[in-house]
Amino acid sequence: MSTSILSLKNVTMRFGGVTALNDVTFDVKEKEILGLIGPNGAGKTTVFNVITGVYQITSGSIEFQGKSLAGEKRYKITRSGIARTFQNIRLWGDMTALENVMTATDTHKRSGLVGGLFGSPISRKEEKRDKKRAQELLDFIGIGEYADRLARNLPYGVQRRLEIARALGTEPKLILLDEPAAGFNPAEKVELAKVIRKIRDAGYTILLIEHDMSLVMKVSDRVVVLDFGQKIADNTPQKVQDDPRVIEAYLGVPEDAS
Amino acid sequence: MINLRDKGAEIWERANRPQRVLMAISFIAMAAALPFLGGTFLNTPIADYQSVLVYPIAMFVLMAIGLNIVIGKSGLLDLGYVAFFAIGAYTMGLLGTRTSLNTWEILPIGIAMAMFSGIILGVPALKLRGDYLAIITLGFGEIIRIVALNLEVLGRSGGIIGIPTPPPIFGIEYAFDSHRIYYWTLLIIILFAIWMVRRLSVRRAGRAWESIRQDEDAAELMGVPTFKYKVWAFVLGASVGGAAGVFYASKTLFIAPDNFTLQISILILACVVFGGMGNIWGVIAGAVILGYLPDRIRFLSDARLLVFGLVLVIMMNLRPDGLLPRKKREKALPNKDSNKDKS
Amino acid sequence: MIGNFLDQFWSLTFGGLSLGFIYILIALGYTMVYGVLRMINFANSEVFMVATFATIIIVRDVYNFTQTSEYATGFRLWLILGTALLASMVVAGVLSVLIEIVAYRRLRRMNSGILAPLISAIGVSMVLAEAVRMMTDSRPVASPRAMEKSFIGKFFDADIRLDNTIIIFAAVILLTLLLAFVNKTRLGKAIRAVSMNGNAAKLMGINIDGVVSITFLVGGLMTGAAGFFYVLKYENTSFSIGFELGIAAFTAAILGGIGNIKGAFYGGLALGLLETYASFFLGTQWKAVTVFVVLVLILYTKPNGLFGEAMTQTRA
Ligand SMILES: Nc1ncnc2c1ncn2[C@@H]1O[C@H](COP(=O)(O)OP(=O)(O)O)[C@@H](O)[C@H]1O
Ligand SMILES: [Mg+2]
Repeated sequence: MSTSILSLKNVTMRFGGVTALNDVTFDVKEKEILGLIGPNGAGKTTVFNVITGVYQITSGSIEFQGKSLAGEKRYKITRSGIARTFQNIRLWGDMTALENVMTATDTHKRSGLVGGLFGSPISRKEEKRDKKRAQELLDFIGIGEYADRLARNLPYGVQRRLEIARALGTEPKLILLDEPAAGFNPAEKVELAKVIRKIRDAGYTILLIEHDMSLVMKVSDRVVVLDFGQKIADNTPQKVQDDPRVIEAYLGVPEDAS
Repeated sequence: MINLRDKGAEIWERANRPQRVLMAISFIAMAAALPFLGGTFLNTPIADYQSVLVYPIAMFVLMAIGLNIVIGKSGLLDLGYVAFFAIGAYTMGLLGTRTSLNTWEILPIGIAMAMFSGIILGVPALKLRGDYLAIITLGFGEIIRIVALNLEVLGRSGGIIGIPTPPPIFGIEYAFDSHRIYYWTLLIIILFAIWMVRRLSVRRAGRAWESIRQDEDAAELMGVPTFKYKVWAFVLGASVGGAAGVFYASKTLFIAPDNFTLQISILILACVVFGGMGNIWGVIAGAVILGYLPDRIRFLSDARLLVFGLVLVIMMNLRPDGLLPRKKREKALPNKDSNKDKS
Repeated sequence: MIGNFLDQFWSLTFGGLSLGFIYILIALGYTMVYGVLRMINFANSEVFMVATFATIIIVRDVYNFTQTSEYATGFRLWLILGTALLASMVVAGVLSVLIEIVAYRRLRRMNSGILAPLISAIGVSMVLAEAVRMMTDSRPVASPRAMEKSFIGKFFDADIRLDNTIIIFAAVILLTLLLAFVNKTRLGKAIRAVSMNGNAAKLMGINIDGVVSITFLVGGLMTGAAGFFYVLKYENTSFSIGFELGIAAFTAAILGGIGNIKGAFYGGLALGLLETYASFFLGTQWKAVTVFVVLVLILYTKPNGLFGEAMTQTRA
């Protein structure tokens, strides 16, 4: 049996009077693609935010590879092997695509500021290696030709994919994708599904938030459903689709026409 | 609008190594030849051209390069930059008049003092949101001045007089009125600062600062130790300010709290904003223009701060990127298919 | 020293309270704008400075008082004080609205982040302070005394000065009016709606630009009143007064928790008293340092102030 890489236990997150997550418990297993779905405002992005340390949870616990993430600094959480993308794209627009990814790969450099200043051999070697690695990642995601374009001049679809490449740049074990197909047309969605599988096949674990049901059901090994901050289902895609509670949760909310 | 900075960068990127060396040398030679450009036309109403080159022009350029690391590179609004200038200057004043250390020996001490206070101030302050940092640094700048104004050892409002000039190096004397020598020395310090900034900008630190400036939360979530890099930027900026202060004291031979008012911080800020935050050549151009013109044009010299205020408002609202904005253009790709991007 | 302090305790306290009310009114200029725009209205300090000059101009040039004039009494005195107060408030209110239009509005529309409006505001402050400096030849300007600073009674051993009393009473009235405006009127409710959630307010059809202008107007009116009270109490001003009082009032706003009116109230009083007591022990030259130390301590230890929102919190 595969072991779990991330586990949320009884996680509750309150913002003032709003309870965004209410006693949520689930595991992410190694090398799986876990879909995380739910109507708008269900608390999906909040799950990403508490995992990556943007917010400190009100109660409960989150463990990554058996270690609690409570109180850990955000950049350290990332360095320990969790990377994410953002629902509303947050690239560094004034940097090129390559530089965006390199900033993430820098995470694992040994050379510091002083080495960089005097061009120490380590620093020079690492710079070269990282450049190569960043280019590889761009090629891997299929946007290699855009390496030298400024991020904010890139077409929307490329920006979404660059977010994924940047997250991979931090060398994560677990990658959190927040609606990576938002705004995509059907052809682009098919393309993205391939990329997501390719990432998993390369050995990463994926937690995927996605609104497009057919996409989630197609790529996920398992699906967790949130509604009003509560987990209402956690099962295989097929079983989740037939779950009356899930159907009810979605019936009240019109499908996002995207 | 045409972007001079991009034009320049393009020429530089297309050049090969010997061409670059040639360009750098001719640039330095031109800068070094400036004192001979002279003529009475360039004198300002209060000073002759050669002394104006030293102060305010070269001094402003140096400080603007330092402040640019803080505000331009990493987006931290430091309104108390004058504090580091003052700390450098008072270190020179105190040690220069009370010990037998000379300017060159005091220079590293002054820089260290400025960096140290940068850490003391920066470590707590850089945890706050950007606009609070601005207020804290503003207060810090004033505090340093008030302390100097009220402490006996620092000479209170009378300041410190009789600060020694630098001792000769390689037989070159620093007479009180040998402006050229001071200018060339400053030029060397400036070149060193440019080298440092450029060197850091193209590597890891530069990317970290850039990511922090554009979206700090995203940077942190991508594994950038943002706090550490912010402290570094702050402290490096402080070191340049400290160096400028030491040299300033050793040039004017007399310092007083009045030389270190909030206005100096704002002046330097205006130079950075006017030239183009983040782009070192823009910042240099900004400092040269704003250092020189208000002094040269007689009716402006009393109103110079007013002019600087206007510059800030107008630039922010109409051309927030400054005269020579930071990189906008994508890298020149000489050996790739250049038609590809025409979509 | 302590004995002296106890002797003077009540007179220091009265002075501190009236200074505190001046801080409260200026702090409102920061806090109301911050509530609505989440932005430090840096130029508010110079709005205050201009208002102090407006008061002096009314008393000196409109009513022709000189340093040797007889004190005004009775109805004439109240007329003079009333016009000066009103004029200062109107000048400051209008100036504040203009500053928003000239220096902030465009940047707000461009969504330019925190830095650009702040730098723009610093520019405006500089222009105002320098313009006044040049007009006054860099010298402080004294206000002729229109009102005799008589003692109107005693509290324990302390004399109660008329000017301090007027300041405290008038400020309380203004604050009551302000609270009524914010809580009871439609405009006031719109301001509160925008403070709580700008996007939602926009969706509800609230005219954001209008609300912002009103907020600057109200903040300016309060700051202008502070300008009048300052001159009444200290009888002089100078081009650099904005910087000194501005940073103290800003500290008061932070102390109470920037962004809400209650915070400005308690913060202002606390700082006014603290500064007055501290000056007694340390000497007035360390006043600015005291204020700064308070500011630093709050920001580092309790950045939300007593009632405010978190300032280090970020969103992703
Ligand atoms: N920083 C915050 N402050 C207050 N409420 C928040 C915050 N972040 C999220 N929420 C609330 O939590 C709920 C879940 O939001 P979110 O996780 O973004 O939903 P989604 O499932 O669409 O990604 C929403 O009601 C939202 O308003
Ligand atoms: Mg979401």
